[in-house]
Amino acid sequence: MSNVVSHLPTILGPLRAEVHAASWFAALGEPLTEGDRADCKAYADAEDVALVTSWREAEDFLKSAEASLDWWNREEAERKALFARAEAQYPKRALWTALTELTTEAGDLVHGKAAMAAARLGGAAPASIHVAAGAASQAIYQLAVARVAGETASLFESKFHLFAAGRWPLGARGSRLVLF
Amino acid sequence: MTDIVIKTVEELKSAPEEYRDAVAKLVISHAVNELYGAQVFDEPAIAYAPTPYAKWLTCRVAMEEYGHHVRFKQLGIQMGIPEERMMPGGTKKPLSIFEFPLKTWEEFVAIKLLADLAEILQVEDLLHCTFHPLRNLARATMPEERFHAQFGEDFSAELVKTPEGKARLQAAVNEYWPYLPKFFGGSKSKNNEIFRKWKIKQRTNDEMREDFVKRATEVATKYGLTLPEVRQAA
Repeated sequence: MSNVVSHLPTILGPLRAEVHAASWFAALGEPLTEGDRADCKAYADAEDVALVTSWREAEDFLKSAEASLDWWNREEAERKALFARAEAQYPKRALWTALTELTTEAGDLVHGKAAMAAARLGGAAPASIHVAAGAASQAIYQLAVARVAGETASLFESKFHLFAAGRWPLGARGSRLVLF
Repeated sequence: MTDIVIKTVEELKSAPEEYRDAVAKLVISHAVNELYGAQVFDEPAIAYAPTPYAKWLTCRVAMEEYGHHVRFKQLGIQMGIPEERMMPGGTKKPLSIFEFPLKTWEEFVAIKLLADLAEILQVEDLLHCTFHPLRNLARATMPEERFHAQFGEDFSAELVKTPEGKARLQAAVNEYWPYLPKFFGGSKSKNNEIFRKWKIKQRTNDEMREDFVKRATEVATKYGLTLPEVRQAA
């Protein structure tokens, strides 16, 4: 069992490095690129990308009825399935501790990056910095669960790509992805 | 001799046994209760949050609460406390409020509004702690605790805009409020006496409870809510 536990840092170590190397929120407010479109297609099979260019617009969308929770529920179902696979491979406490320590460390990092992006663009409500940090931390946690489960082609890989490229995917509706 | 200042975990090793035990009790208590709070309330609340905005905000709050547990646990490990004592199932009994799993979004908002205010008072009392690693941890934690209470205020302000929302929030306050004054322990607590003797904590349990009831009444009144009568802890 100890060999299994010692395998966790081997899996999560590279992800920790990717988290530190990512351009968290650096592209908010910037024009859409072909690379962004490709990442959106890979993440949500999105044919149409709606670009949001200000914190106020992002807040309005995330609080609106237009922000359907279907995509959220799909991701949550996927995360739970992957978590069950991870739990079958690792002791519960070791898994929980590894994931919690990673997301705690990463959460502080992305929170600072979100605050910097908010200062750069202006117009963000103070709580929205926490919302952005929550979204990014969740993306890291989802990818960590997928990697620990041994899944290398999950939708959480392409979601992380979007964040790593400085974007924030706000939500999907049908074939349309809303991107900040 | 009670005028003692311990600046590092290393210095703690040469402190009197009573002081070391008292500090360890506090660290274990915070580590366990932060973890229970995150597991029982904050993480389940993500599913109840009504919009993506509220869901991600709740995600961040949950991660910060888990982060508080991690920080207290890391301090405890440096102090030589076995990790098992700072996790569920250890010797430390959790607060009774954690025996009532979350059922609605309004309950979570009520908990953030009032229970996190109680947490703020507990952390405030450590801001001048003579054990500086614990004092510093309290100072690092305080802005996040204040944000969590503000979260409770912001969503309370949203809920009370409609009579139905206000009624649901008041029902949640009625359900959880009776458990909160007990957070502060008994009036004749021997532990509290020792904490104050060594200036690890500053106030008696009754002083803190009285202050909490006063501040909670003020914040509830601000949103047109009332707090039910509670029999004080013995």
